[in-house]
Amino acid sequence: MKFFQKKRNKPQLEDNSSYRSGRRLFLEKLGLGGVLAGLVGMGFQSFRSLIPNLLYEPAQRTKIGMPQNLAEGMTFISDMRLYVFREGKSFYAVSGSCTHLGCTVKYTKLQQPKQVEINGEKTVVPFEFHCPCHGSKFYADGTNYAGPAPEPLQWYKLEVSPDDGQLLVDRSQIVERNFRLTV
Amino acid sequence: MWTWNPGSDKEAGDAIVKNLLLHWFPNKVSKGSLSWSYSFWLGTMSFVLFMILVFTGVVLMFIYVPSVERAYSSIKDIEHVVSFGWLLRGTHRIAAHLMVATVFLHMVRVFLTGAYKNGSSVGANRPLNWIVGIILLVLTLLLSFTGYLLPWDQLAYWAITVGTNIASAAPLVGKWIRFLLLGGNEIDQNALIRFYVLHVFFLPMIVLFLFCYHMWRVRKDGGLAIVDREALDLKPEKIASVKSKTYTLLGITNGTSVHVQNTEVDGEKNSVPSSPHLLRRIWFVSLATLIVVVVLTFLFPAPLEEPANPSVTPNPAKAPWYFLWLQEIVTITTVNLGWFTINGALIGGVLLPGILLLLGIWWPYRDCSGNASVGIWFAPERRRQNIVFVLICLFIILFTVIGTFLRGPYWNFYWPWETWPEMPIKF
Repeated sequence: MKFFQKKRNKPQLEDNSSYRSGRRLFLEKLGLGGVLAGLVGMGFQSFRSLIPNLLYEPAQRTKIGMPQNLAEGMTFISDMRLYVFREGKSFYAVSGSCTHLGCTVKYTKLQQPKQVEINGEKTVVPFEFHCPCHGSKFYADGTNYAGPAPEPLQWYKLEVSPDDGQLLVDRSQIVERNFRLTV
Repeated sequence: MWTWNPGSDKEAGDAIVKNLLLHWFPNKVSKGSLSWSYSFWLGTMSFVLFMILVFTGVVLMFIYVPSVERAYSSIKDIEHVVSFGWLLRGTHRIAAHLMVATVFLHMVRVFLTGAYKNGSSVGANRPLNWIVGIILLVLTLLLSFTGYLLPWDQLAYWAITVGTNIASAAPLVGKWIRFLLLGGNEIDQNALIRFYVLHVFFLPMIVLFLFCYHMWRVRKDGGLAIVDREALDLKPEKIASVKSKTYTLLGITNGTSVHVQNTEVDGEKNSVPSSPHLLRRIWFVSLATLIVVVVLTFLFPAPLEEPANPSVTPNPAKAPWYFLWLQEIVTITTVNLGWFTINGALIGGVLLPGILLLLGIWWPYRDCSGNASVGIWFAPERRRQNIVFVLICLFIILFTVIGTFLRGPYWNFYWPWETWPEMPIKF
């Protein structure tokens, strides 16, 4: 029991200044700094690990079948939320994702084709796209004309796959609205 | 031992102080604080609802599977296979709905009674507690949002779609926040597990922590604001000097205490022991809340929409009622400035709610009404700000009602008695 009764050299309270300087102060700061650095490091690595390095998401470039097998008019490719149109030998693809908040717009065939003016040009519109979430409306070419959508629907680039001749849609490449792929 | 029915003040005090669950209550509470019509006990209700949510939620965690493939079927199992599963899920859902309502109404009550003001109590910082309360309201909404995503049905899927796209409308960091929330660019397994962990652990822990701080602050602020009010109404009375031990610079000395003149809020006339008076009311509020939740669960069983389908948006796609005012606002706030268009998602989804929140946080520091307006309903001095506040609340409620009852397919306007036209599911 002698060990516990051994008197330690307690630092003198009056001698506060020397106690908190030199080696002791340095070690104190080192310890505190070490703990802080450790916490910051842990925080950073935890946060960083939540930002994925590898995504297992569907490819942006996808084959959608042989051009001649595509039906005349509209085809909806549901897993890509994509409207593909065929007019004889020419093809184009319009995104089904509303530019307001990303709901899938619905293809709405009009009872009677209507005449509208898009960018100063008179066109006949046989169908439109309507969004169920907030009521945005788009003409056949994707031009927004009513509701909260701020931009027209996006058009994606279509190509013919060089290996097997299938149509290839590239959702990372947005194209102008006069784009046509002729096969 | 703990006593339900204390025979003396000392027993009453011990019943509170010596009890782990009760020690954060004051020994005695003023009669005004116990009034039904002052606070309507909305804060207590909110906490009771939170506890119901924790209990039902923990049980649900054992039987729900947070995976894209199995989430929907596990909810179906909870509904149709698990004993009392429907009751568990229904109670959880109703309690969540009610909690949104009670927390909101609690905020309305605090505003209209000027209870975020410091009044005459020393060392109070009620504005800070008001800010904590606003954070708790936002957290309650986030908990609801992350919660209704978990069934992975159509409501869930399109709510994440719209919700995270609103986040991505925020300037500069928006896209990045969406990526971080979803754990990718597409709504898939990463997104589900993230929202799950947020819902069952992260957000509830923050709520619990802030709740403790909220309650601690109420004690530090001298109790409910009505206590300040009561102190104003009382004339200072001479209280006989108490012979006591006093701490001085030289140590403990015996003498008389310095409080020669004091108001008597804590005195015999105006306050009662917390045990049993406060506890009795808390039990009563808890029981009433529980009964309401269970009855509503029987009346409104929890719905489950079709499984999530990324290619088909339901028509109309409606958020839960407490977000419908936001859905209404993002619909009508897209602004056209000639060639430049600002998305309603930014104005209605980010800026407007952000401004409302900042205004709420700032308001206690702006409100310079006097001490007579603290802890009293509709103080005449605060009439103008009360009117503005009520108008803002009424707008939110009005938009909620429009969104709930007057919107149909393609978000078109329909009267409640009008039947919606038949809509093809896909096109």
